[in-house]
Amino acid sequence: MNDVKQELIVLRQILSIPQKFSTGPVMGRFLKELRDNRRIMANRCPRCRRFHLPPREVCAICRAPSGEFVEVGPEGVIQSYDIVYYASPDPLTGEARQAPYTTVNVLLDGVQGKDTLWHLLNETDPTRIRRGLRVRAIFNEQRTGSIHDIKYFDIIEGGTKGAAQ
Amino acid sequence: MARNRNVGIIGIGQTRHSSHREDVNQPEMIHEAVALALEDAGMTRDDIDCVVHGNMELFEMVHQPDMWHVIGDGAYGKPGYRLTTGGTTGATLVCAADTLVASGLYDVVLAVGFEKLQEGHTTGGITNMADPLWGRELQTGALTGMAAAAVIEEFGAERAKHAAMKMRVIMDRHAMLNPNAHRQFGFTEDMIPTMVENVPPLVGELRLVHMCSQSDGACAMIFASEDVAKKRCPNPAWMMDHVTVHREETFNLFGNVEEITTMRYAATKLYERNGITDPLRQIDVFEMYDPSSWWGLDWIREFFLLDGDRHLRMVENEEIGMDGLIPINPSGGVVATNPIGATAMIRVAEAALQVRGAAGAHQVKKEVNLALASGFGGTLWTVLVLLSKNPPVLKEERP
Repeated sequence: MNDVKQELIVLRQILSIPQKFSTGPVMGRFLKELRDNRRIMANRCPRCRRFHLPPREVCAICRAPSGEFVEVGPEGVIQSYDIVYYASPDPLTGEARQAPYTTVNVLLDGVQGKDTLWHLLNETDPTRIRRGLRVRAIFNEQRTGSIHDIKYFDIIEGGTKGAAQ
Repeated sequence: MARNRNVGIIGIGQTRHSSHREDVNQPEMIHEAVALALEDAGMTRDDIDCVVHGNMELFEMVHQPDMWHVIGDGAYGKPGYRLTTGGTTGATLVCAADTLVASGLYDVVLAVGFEKLQEGHTTGGITNMADPLWGRELQTGALTGMAAAAVIEEFGAERAKHAAMKMRVIMDRHAMLNPNAHRQFGFTEDMIPTMVENVPPLVGELRLVHMCSQSDGACAMIFASEDVAKKRCPNPAWMMDHVTVHREETFNLFGNVEEITTMRYAATKLYERNGITDPLRQIDVFEMYDPSSWWGLDWIREFFLLDGDRHLRMVENEEIGMDGLIPINPSGGVVATNPIGATAMIRVAEAALQVRGAAGAHQVKKEVNLALASGFGGTLWTVLVLLSKNPPVLKEERP
């Protein structure tokens, strides 16, 4: 069907979509506490007592509305981490991210259960990172009620705890 | 779950998968797979009662692609559904087609999965899968080194890295036999030590060749009721069962400790329902959705309900090779070929080709009576599909 000599035209397009997401009263409270009080708040299921972090409206396993908010952190223990070398695009800006960077899942002090907080670690040297290291959330001076209100987690020098091992 | 009637796979079509199909647009590419599936089934578009169509729309950013693709799949005037469940889309299409025929609603259903990943940005698209309230800033597509870190922690760096790269080399050896496979490198065993050290890392110990490809391609399959299947096809592959396992609603679960993986949970359910007590020996071939060689390695243990280092030994001893105890991915798997909306369907299609003895150069040597195929997607979702050479005996009710 195709004539091999025919020029095959490829259209190049860039899609740029401004988006805004409602956070609702539960996630909204979590973000407000970060912004106004530099506090990390989890909530918990009244039935199975597990923590949700970030907070959730309902415990999907118990199908029960979540209850009390509890302050956790700002210190915790590295549960898992990824040192990212691939400069992927930031979907919020379209720009390539600066690599390497490290994402980290932190089991914050006070959390009972398995919910870790996902954020950045201020370290990319693989010889200096391991599971179980103690870390602390560093807050940004300028806070807007978003994930960026925490700048990153810093390793606490000399601080180790075997909880995650 | 009770099956009203049996469902046979009687038509299979795949495009040649490639990094660039700029010679055709989307409906033209889909048409290639649909035409091959119809030819395989000895059918025309008039024989199709219903069309299910799917891909992951975040990649090409085309809304309602099924409407555009009507000119490629012949769905005009026919009932149809569009499905999109991320990486599992292709397997979900199979489950839907099976359900539509088994229920008695339609006799012949055409399922079409496709992706033209070069028309969008794969990692950007998957990054937008993350929770928009907490995580888009952190997600790096489907790239993570956490599976690698876990295997290394359990078995030591040297053994773990060698086993993951050996898994990759075996998959490439299989892909070299599959004329539709996208990436065919010609890796050999002696290259493993160099590859372990020198292939560029993406995330942690997940390196470039470990990770699945970004492919353009389509797959089409035709599902028919038992009476139609037996009339039209000398050797249908029969749907035994399928199971879909998601985790709770949260996006943000990759870093959390799991009590049981969706792979092990799905396999346990499927085996219980179908009387499989020794999966390594009862199942003859497994087409696994292996997004990376690390995940593929790790999940052998989960899917076959193994303990300890049995899965590592299976790779080290080549028990997953073409003439091994349980050949895994004779097609070369997802690390070789990955047009995402088609990928999980290609697993089932390739498993069906093995059951039918129609896989050509990558047909396994032993007789295939029972074949397993898996899909993967979302926050570690699993779909498992079980196919058999003989039509299953229908039961009144399943436990």
